[in-house]
Formats: sequence, C-alpha cells, structure tokens
Amino acid sequence: MEWLSKALLSLFLLMSAHMVSAQDEPIVVLNETDTIRPTKYIAPLTEKPKLALFQGLTLSADILGPIIYLFSDYGSTEAALRLNLKNTYFPIVEVGFGKCKSTDYETDITYSTSAPFFRAGIDFNILKNKLMDNRLYVGARYGISSFKFDMSGPVMTDPIWGGSSPYNYRDAASTSSWLEVVFGAQVKVWRNFHMGWSVRYKQELHIGQPSYAKPYYIPGYGTTTDTSCWGGTYNLIFDLNWGKKKHGKQSPSDSPSATKTE
Amino acid sequence: MKRLLGILSIMALVACSSNNCPLENKVTCNYYFYDREGVAVLFPDTLTVRTLLPGEKTVYIYRKLGSATVTSDYPDTTYTNAGYSETITKARRDTILVNNATKRSSIMVPMSYYNKADTLVFTYDGISRRDTVIVTHDSYPHVELPECGTHFFHNLRSIRATDAAIDHIEIVNPLVNNEKKENVKIYLNGVAE
Repeated sequence: MEWLSKALLSLFLLMSAHMVSAQDEPIVVLNETDTIRPTKYIAPLTEKPKLALFQGLTLSADILGPIIYLFSDYGSTEAALRLNLKNTYFPIVEVGFGKCKSTDYETDITYSTSAPFFRAGIDFNILKNKLMDNRLYVGARYGISSFKFDMSGPVMTDPIWGGSSPYNYRDAASTSSWLEVVFGAQVKVWRNFHMGWSVRYKQELHIGQPSYAKPYYIPGYGTTTDTSCWGGTYNLIFDLNWGKKKHGKQSPSDSPSATKTE
Repeated sequence: MKRLLGILSIMALVACSSNNCPLENKVTCNYYFYDREGVAVLFPDTLTVRTLLPGEKTVYIYRKLGSATVTSDYPDTTYTNAGYSETITKARRDTILVNNATKRSSIMVPMSYYNKADTLVFTYDGISRRDTVIVTHDSYPHVELPECGTHFFHNLRSIRATDAAIDHIEIVNPLVNNEKKENVKIYLNGVAE
C-alpha cells in the first residue's frame, strides 16, 4: 500500500511540473522553410555598467606653487598620488616642499623656512557620468608639516627702564596641522594626460609655536595672517591605468552572450 | 564659470592680504579697582603712578618754616629768592607711568623688558601716604606676525603692596600681552556705598 501511495505522489508531481513548463513555453509555429538564426543579446538600456573597484592610479604635479614663488616671498611644489575607486572616490596622498624667505619692510622682521609637508584625504567625483574622462570633484584634506624656521628683527630696547637685546632666533621648531576643503576640475588633454585645477579653503587646526614667535608661513598651508586662508593648485595629471576602463568581473549569466532561438 | 573664477580669485587675494594686527598694539599690565568686598569701583581719588628706574638722580629740596616742602628735579631760584632753603641730595631715578588719573575703573601700566621686578609708587591727592606695589615677572619677546612688529610679553610671578589706600592685591591673569585682559585686582580700603 505504501508503494502505491508513493507512486501516485510521484505521478502527481511529474504532471504538475509538465503543466508548469507547458504554460511557460512560448507558442512558436515554425514552417519548414524557416531557418533558425542566432540573435545577439542586447542588454537593457537601464542596466548600469559595472566598474571594478580599482580603476588605476593617478600621478599629478602642481605647477602653480613654483610660479607663485617666482613672484612672491613664498611658494611650494608638490606631487600627488591618487587612487581611482570606481571613477567616483579618489583617496589621495600629497607630498610637497614649501619655502619662504620674507622681510617686512616696515618692521624689518625677517622670516625664513623650507620644509616638506604631507596631506592625505579623498576626492569625490560629482559628475553624473562617472565614465567621462573629465572630472569635477569636491574633497577634503588633512595636512601636516613639521618644520624649523628662523626669525630675526631689530634690537629691542626698553623705552622706560632701558636695556636692549637682539631679536634673533634660529631653528625654532613647529609642528602644525590644518584641514582643507577642495573643489576642483580636470580635463583630458591627450590620451592619459590631463590638466586640472583646484581651489582650497584651509583652516588651521594646530599651530605649534615657541613663546617668542608664531610661524609666519607653514609649508603646505601658507601664511598665518589669519586662522583660515585660500589656496589653489594647477595640476599636470597622468593616469597610470593608461586610459583603460576596467569592467568588473561578471557572472556568466550577466555577461553578454549569444543565444539561439529554439 | 568665468564669473565664478573671478569671484574666487578676488576672495583669495583679499583673504591673504588683510592686515591682522590689533589696533591697540601696546603691552600693558591692567589693574582694576575694587572695594574691600570685591565690588568694582571707580577710584575716587586722583592717582599718579611712578616707577623706580635704575641709577640715581639729583634732587633739589626747598624748605621754609610754615610752608610745604617742595621737591624738584631741577634747581628753582624762585624758591631761594622767596626765602626757602635749598638742599641738594641724591635719590633713586623714577618716571611717571600714569599721570593724575581720576575716577578710573582701571589703569594700564607698562612693564620692564629686562628687570625681574618692577616697583610702582602710587601717590594720591587725598592721602598723604603713598603705596608701593612690587610686581615680579618673567619677560620674553614675541612676534605674532612680522607686519605687527616685536613685543615683550610677561608672566606675572608675584605681587605685593603697602596699605595706605590698598587693602590687598591679587593676580587674576598672569599673562600680560596686548589682549587688554584684566591682570591684577586692587582691593581698596573701605566699602563702596
């Protein structure tokens, strides 16, 4: 009796499966003269291309800083290495060298320093089409510089009690840090060579200073005439992924493939 | 886009070219007056503050029976012609830091760059006695920005005073710089009505 019930159940399941497949099967009427030709699968237009996470590296150099140094008392040169994640997020490390030699002609106080600086942060590509070679981005940076500076001025004379001493300090040490908000753009010039600019709003976080002087210029930040300042770069940019857009690994079912009609 | 770049350029130039030096650039130790109970008051008398300087000076003292004694840094023949006797002596050099201040809630007094202690002599119009205030301090040069020049800042170490018009005195902010903060409280004898 048990074998009979199993046999009936199996028959019922088999019939059910056949009915379901029969309902899904398209009704195709083929004439004998018809030939079966392969058709190319066309992905729906709404499907977004999948990009691999790692899209390459970008190396850039600033040319604005050295030009500024030609026409002023201070300037810097810097290079940056930027990681491209999905053409959207760009973690970046910037390394540079700032230099200043300034004399105020009203007070006769001279300030000089030259030291490296470091920045780290991330840019975000705000263009809707992430596959474009041109980019518009906003970002943020944390900057730090550990440096030594010299400052000297005229002899300081006590006007009431008398006495005098020179104002002359060498190798005063400072470690200073700041934050930057970045807005920038870059355009493709030729193959993997781009040019671009950035405007930066900088805010002091910490200014390390001895009692006798506040550093006038911080490499990578600029002058400390206020607790915040504007800056900018003009960059020559090289994409190290040689301009290729890498697509993500897709499952066989997702990949474009030829199908045959039956 | 061009307009945006123009605005950003102007903002950058303005942001980096402004002068941020304080308008009042003097470094002074700021003394505020209170009554004995700690109520802020206007100093009711006329006050002159002198400080002692290194070295000595020649002083001419004129005395006459029945007249007030006159002390002068210079010889004055008008007194000798009027019958005063003249005594020439040596005294510690001094200079006036605050001259005839009246009805003031505070006084601002400069400090020495290279001395460890400043001696201030308070003289009053209404009181014949004088007060001596001795303040010890450390001093150091400071440059905030090259365009603002050099200054001497001070750290107050201790302060003491005599009791002609002063009940007691205390340091409330030891850092003396150009921020014009209250540094010393002078509690005067008596209670404000």
